[in-house]
Amino acid sequence: MAQDDSIYYRQGLPVPETPEPGRDAGFWETTDIVGKRVARVDGYERLSGAAVYPSDIKLPNMIYGAILRCPHPHARVKKLNTAPARKMPGVRALISGDAPESGGLQWKYDDYAAPLFDPHCRFEGEVLAAVAADTRYQAWDAVRAIKVEYEVLPYVSDHDQALDDKAPRVHESGNLVGSDEYIRGDADKGLSRADAVVEQTYQTPCELHTPMELHGCVANWDGDRLTIWESSQGVYAVQSRISEVLEMPLSKVRVIGHYMGGGFGSKLQPGKYTVLAALLARKAARPVKMILTREETYLCVGNRPANTMRLKAGARKDGTLTGLDFACTGPSGAYPAGGTSLVDWQIRDLYQCDNVRCSSRDVYIHAGPARPFRAPGHPQGSWALEQMMDDLAEKIGMDPVELRLKNIPEVSQARGNIPYTTTGLRQCIEKGAEQFGWKAAVKKAREHNRSNRAVKRGVGMGACVWIVGGGGPPATVAIKLFRDGSVNLNMGASDIGTGTKTVMALVAAEELGIRPEVIQIEHADTGTTQYATPSGGSKTVPTESPTVRNAAIDVKRQVLEMAAEDLDVPAADLVYQGAEVVSGSNSEKRIRVTEVSRLKKRGVVMGVGYRGPNPEGKSVNPFGAQFCELEVNIGTGEVSILRFLGAHDSGRVLDRLTYDNQVFGGIVMGIGLGLTEFRQLDAKQTGKLCNRNWHDYKLPTALDVPADMVSLPIEIDDPEANNTGAKGLGEPVTIPTAAAIANALYMATSVRFTRAPVNPIEIRRHL
Amino acid sequence: MLPSFSYVRPETVKDTVKHASARGAALHAGGTDLIGCLREGIMDVDKVVSLSALADLYGIRETADDGLTIGALATITEVAENPLVRNKYPGLAQGASEVASPQLRNQGTLGGNLCQKPRCWYYRGEFHCLRKGGDMCYALAGEHQFHAVFGHDRICVITHPSDTAPVLAALGAKLRVAGPDGGKTIAVENLHVPPRDNVLTETVLGPGEVITRIDLPRPAANLKSSYRKVRARRSWDFALAGVALALEMDGDRVENSRVFLSGAAPIPWRSRSVENVIRGRRLDDKTIAEARAAIVENADPLPGNTYKLELFKGVIEEELSAMGRPE
Amino acid sequence: MGSDDQGNNDVGRSGFTRRGFIQIMGTGAVSASLAGAAIAARSKPVPPEKVMDAENTVKISLHVNGAQHAVLVESRWTLLYVLREAFGMTGTKEGCSRGECGACTVLIDGIPRYACMTLAVEAEGRRITTLEGLMSGEQLGPVQNAFLEEDAYQCGYCTPGQIMAVEGLLRKNPTPSLDEIRIGVSGNLCRCGAYTHIFRAAQKAADLKKR
Repeated sequence: MAQDDSIYYRQGLPVPETPEPGRDAGFWETTDIVGKRVARVDGYERLSGAAVYPSDIKLPNMIYGAILRCPHPHARVKKLNTAPARKMPGVRALISGDAPESGGLQWKYDDYAAPLFDPHCRFEGEVLAAVAADTRYQAWDAVRAIKVEYEVLPYVSDHDQALDDKAPRVHESGNLVGSDEYIRGDADKGLSRADAVVEQTYQTPCELHTPMELHGCVANWDGDRLTIWESSQGVYAVQSRISEVLEMPLSKVRVIGHYMGGGFGSKLQPGKYTVLAALLARKAARPVKMILTREETYLCVGNRPANTMRLKAGARKDGTLTGLDFACTGPSGAYPAGGTSLVDWQIRDLYQCDNVRCSSRDVYIHAGPARPFRAPGHPQGSWALEQMMDDLAEKIGMDPVELRLKNIPEVSQARGNIPYTTTGLRQCIEKGAEQFGWKAAVKKAREHNRSNRAVKRGVGMGACVWIVGGGGPPATVAIKLFRDGSVNLNMGASDIGTGTKTVMALVAAEELGIRPEVIQIEHADTGTTQYATPSGGSKTVPTESPTVRNAAIDVKRQVLEMAAEDLDVPAADLVYQGAEVVSGSNSEKRIRVTEVSRLKKRGVVMGVGYRGPNPEGKSVNPFGAQFCELEVNIGTGEVSILRFLGAHDSGRVLDRLTYDNQVFGGIVMGIGLGLTEFRQLDAKQTGKLCNRNWHDYKLPTALDVPADMVSLPIEIDDPEANNTGAKGLGEPVTIPTAAAIANALYMATSVRFTRAPVNPIEIRRHL
Repeated sequence: MLPSFSYVRPETVKDTVKHASARGAALHAGGTDLIGCLREGIMDVDKVVSLSALADLYGIRETADDGLTIGALATITEVAENPLVRNKYPGLAQGASEVASPQLRNQGTLGGNLCQKPRCWYYRGEFHCLRKGGDMCYALAGEHQFHAVFGHDRICVITHPSDTAPVLAALGAKLRVAGPDGGKTIAVENLHVPPRDNVLTETVLGPGEVITRIDLPRPAANLKSSYRKVRARRSWDFALAGVALALEMDGDRVENSRVFLSGAAPIPWRSRSVENVIRGRRLDDKTIAEARAAIVENADPLPGNTYKLELFKGVIEEELSAMGRPE
Repeated sequence: MGSDDQGNNDVGRSGFTRRGFIQIMGTGAVSASLAGAAIAARSKPVPPEKVMDAENTVKISLHVNGAQHAVLVESRWTLLYVLREAFGMTGTKEGCSRGECGACTVLIDGIPRYACMTLAVEAEGRRITTLEGLMSGEQLGPVQNAFLEEDAYQCGYCTPGQIMAVEGLLRKNPTPSLDEIRIGVSGNLCRCGAYTHIFRAAQKAADLKKR
């Protein structure tokens, strides 16, 4: 094996230059494998069924947990009788608020600490007790046998009424979680100078993440050591939270999450269920599998809050934006959770505008707390701003694409005018419009609509910026080079389906000149892999990929130093050439990597990479623009999206195959916001959730999305962002989708649909 | 998670009727609706009586008089794809192909589709509503955008969820039913029960009564049938508004018509007002305009579902226009 | 667990399934015997009589990926529960247990169905094929390879169900159109939104299967 050069894909060709110790890696001017269409390195596992997701775990002696939850949005538990449940067949452990092992345990929402078992239930789905039994069926039989007496209390469901004097209080302090105001220039003055002013109220629905894999975990104790297999976006975040709640040293809490079936922000943290699983497992002295039911996940593992937004905007005839005045409210839910967080970011920073005012009020309601949901706040703000840009364009008689191009900022205005490392906003809009055939499509749609009564056509677009997406420290990656030239890559980050493992293998392969197939990745295990923050915020690739590169460079430096001993030349004179290390001054002096004496003797070289800091005084952000074409059946309100194009500047594309997949996936999720998804509370009668399943809560199906989707990467060299030049992608791709649809619907129907989702109900209400 | 129940799979219809007559027994055909209902705990079931061993309940074949007989256990996919159905009753094939999702069509049966429980989110949720023996209809004053605009009498505003029932009713299909008192025949249009008659049940079938076959009469030579369904998403969704048409044409004139609506009422809803408008007439713009008005006659929409009136107008216009076009 | 025979759902040149074809034949030839025609139309004989108490477990035998497995079940246990929690098979996922997402799609007698809506006892006597049954030894099958090449998945959790839906579609219709593919996978939700790539993978799988 040691002589087998097939591990290397570069035979005799230079591998990226290895910087000297203490110096930063140079920017890859060209790449051989990064950026190609490469199938996932863990494809076999995911496609064969060999991948073991947390919900697939089956341990010897394992039993099953189930949770009793409050069925009311607001109630006080008067009496909880668990005695009948304890006698049920197969029951091995039961815990509730009065059990000694749960006494004093707390659960935190942001910085708000509440008892783990709180008899004052402030949302439907709050936990009251948990049972573990031999089968899942028996666990649920036992939960159903618990008798509870409630004092049902008045509730508030509607965030727009939460601050009314008469609204029932969620907390003693009142229903305002917090308010925020941002002011730049003078919005009123700006608006007064406009040739055209538009004002509109917009509403977006509460959306639920509903990843395909249910939330849940398996918990197992070995003495005082707890191991948790959690369906999670970040094992270290789970470890940190659980060790805090159970007051255990971090080292004693091992969290493993090799595979996970989607999270979209809802699995950045563990749940109370994780703690309950651990408590039940300790009590029963057996591993406990606690996978929530689908219905439970609709109640208590987060949501994208509904938002009500008021936007007033003004522009001059030449397209100059003179003022933006924005106000929004939204609910955190029953505990602080960011009900309006980042909703105003598009308004603050997407377009050039000197006069901006944004205010927001985050309120409590009696419903499950929010959690970050793919590009938190951004699609909502985009729903308002991008529709208003089209309104303004119409008022001043300008093409919507032109109006946006008129207002491209070169700096991040909301950060005190600091420059972006790169901004591809203009190219996203220009090149996207060009490839989409914007002008021709607009013309064609208008012509179509003149001669067709029943089915109308529309095209629409929207642009976006994502507030972060540059990643940053901390992150650590270790790469082991074995003596046969193959590699083991060790990182803590989760691959939540975005292709993180594949992308990191490509980065390591590029830097080391080896084939990605020979890289084995160990990841997402706090016991055995390096520290990483959770995979979310479109920061995993820009955080981890430079770290992987740094680790690979560290490996190469060490190999060069070792080879220097064999070749008797200074390490600085040596370069990598595929499977060999070669002297720059005397090309006859060369040695196979696999023949380097110290590597052979040690068996392995381990390189460690750390994520360096982001550039000072500059902002790293991804940008994008999306375009769509659709048809509306005027009689029935049915919408068919015919095609979509996403032009995204996320820096360097690391794997074109998974990149395109992200773009399409973001668009599909945006179609859900625009056309099909909404949480429905029974606000007028009980405050309970009406649609707690996938039939009543409607995700787009294969028949609701176009097959014709195009991904157009706008790749701009960004050596300042980080040493791979990659920016985040996962969030921006879902930001402008719904608004682009709304704009196309306007062209088709001449109606502004300001309330999402625009399903046939909404369309027929307005046509 | 499902509660516990006993299970029996008899080999004869007679035994099935006996088991199904017991209190707390529920019939299992394809199981696609029953399993969901058991999970939701919307009915107390001690015993599941499986029909799957009953050979007589399978198969689709032509009858001696050129009609069609469909076993109650024929899957929805079999109905949708059967060449005889597609040829004789295209509306039924369309209705069947619009049901739920491919997997559910592969498992769900025609008999089961007719007997399914409503999909009202209060009824299926943790709400002790009128239909479950409680004392109020939550949808009436609650969230009812998906609910009925006809035939609810402000008692219970479910819509009947079946896509095949309106077509079968329009086609004049009859059910063969086995029961404790022997066999009988029920027209599909008489199968379902409006809330004013009994809010606790959806069909006239009593304990122990089992649909064995669905019989379709010989299609008239000039029969045209269709089913059109509008929904909030394109797969796995019930009708916001649907129209089943069975028209017998005399040239370009409608000689006879039967029009049933889905997504409209607690039962498949016959629109006699549309039938009256189009009978004896050409399906021209004037007729269609009158049919648009007729389809919402006597509607009783709720504040949150008045949009359905416009939707039904749009659907009937589209369907009659399509029917009126020369082939 | 070995591969499954592809039995009696092949599509004839007429575009009808063989079952449909038998039914057409039956109308002319055997309409005299109603019961006979009904049985002819079935792919398998009807299952035998069965009685199970609510409280006890009863032994049943399931035919999974070409092998018989005896297992003790309660009457309420679904096929999904038995595959996952009794057999420990990971190629059939639980997404909702309500027949709404398709993650648990398996083939029963070659036809895609939701394992979560199928009582285990109702699957007796049927041929059950799971994702594992599409492998040939350690090698991915053609549909799986197509998913790999087209990157027709992200988190991978709905993927076994998507693959089974495509497998079932192609067994019935080896050359599906784009619309037929979209309908074929319309009972399988993908929250990551990989649909476009799934459509491409299904097209590629049709090609790979022909080779």
